[in-house]
Amino acid sequence: MQYKDFSEEINKMIETIKTRVLSGEISLLDIELVPIFENLKDSLNIFNLNKYSMTYKSAFHLLSQKFEELRIFLDFLDNKEKFIDFLKTNPNDLEIHQLLDDCWRAPFNVDAISLKFLESSKDKLVNEKKEPLIIEPIDKIDFKANFLLEIPKQKFTEKMMTFFDLIKSKLPCSYDEIFEDEHDQIKLFEYFVYLLHLLQLGKIKFQKESNFLYLEER
Amino acid sequence: MNELTVLMYLLSRKTYKSKIGATEGEILNALNVKDKNKSIYFQNLINNLSNYLEPLNLQIRFNPLNSYWYISFDPETNEIISANPFNGNPRLAATLFCTLICCFNSSGETTIQKIKDIRKKKGVLEDIKELKRMGFVTIEKNLNKVSLTPLIGYLIDLEKLFLKTALKLRK
Repeated sequence: MQYKDFSEEINKMIETIKTRVLSGEISLLDIELVPIFENLKDSLNIFNLNKYSMTYKSAFHLLSQKFEELRIFLDFLDNKEKFIDFLKTNPNDLEIHQLLDDCWRAPFNVDAISLKFLESSKDKLVNEKKEPLIIEPIDKIDFKANFLLEIPKQKFTEKMMTFFDLIKSKLPCSYDEIFEDEHDQIKLFEYFVYLLHLLQLGKIKFQKESNFLYLEER
Repeated sequence: MNELTVLMYLLSRKTYKSKIGATEGEILNALNVKDKNKSIYFQNLINNLSNYLEPLNLQIRFNPLNSYWYISFDPETNEIISANPFNGNPRLAATLFCTLICCFNSSGETTIQKIKDIRKKKGVLEDIKELKRMGFVTIEKNLNKVSLTPLIGYLIDLEKLFLKTALKLRK
């Protein structure tokens, strides 16, 4: 392994920075310390470890000082009144213009090109794809008993006419009175269907104003 | 169309004069990201894209005035394409700077009177009207309140500007 020792050079560099900072010539915030650490890292080996540890210590001291300066600087930035104070010193237009000078940015956008195809392409990409419908065969149940479809004893018309005969004596009466004795919901629905058919057939009439059902006089 | 194309499209689109790019939410939505750590995912995405764009002299930037991410040219290219809209008009630049500082000192909006007091120049109202025409500020109907539009956040590196001003003050 090639013996490299840049510790003296790096130490000199650190000392120069310290002197310049102490004389007020520069601020630590203006100095880039990364190259120092890069240099140390790249040339470190088992032979120069002893010397480098001291150099690392000096470099870290400089770094912690830089952090302290940064903290003070950020505190300073927090004080918004400072900027107003600066403007109150009445700086000339050119001075302010120079402050703004290299702060301008040009956003990158492509006005001239239609991006509609990208928009539709993006929409296609982001749309959640639905899972394809899978039809699975259902399990067969082994049902040994005979299955018979229950057929009503009476035909619909017969049942309807039985209902008609039942309510005929009540008429004329209100709509509610027809169902007042029945509490079974299934039966109520069944009777209601009969009633609708009877109204459609004209066997029973309905007066909307009084909400009354009645038989047509012949 | 891949992630890169979606990002390039979203970050370089211009919906209005002062609306360029996209918010973090819009980007994550467009990429269908629903992970728990989507913020970390987003940061990685932006970092990777930024590294990818660097050789093309482009940068990804954040507009603090409307929380939009967008792409801008790097500082060197900005000089070449002359990004400064006030070249040869330091007076207007100075009025804009005063408006900027006044707005930041009073939660986003200020009064024309306050700008006049600080600027100490004649014709401030005309300057502000010109800035309005350029899309940098909005003025209330009764000409009392002035507020910044997000356009400033796109065209000026505010962080750098404040840093430069603070360094100047320290000296």
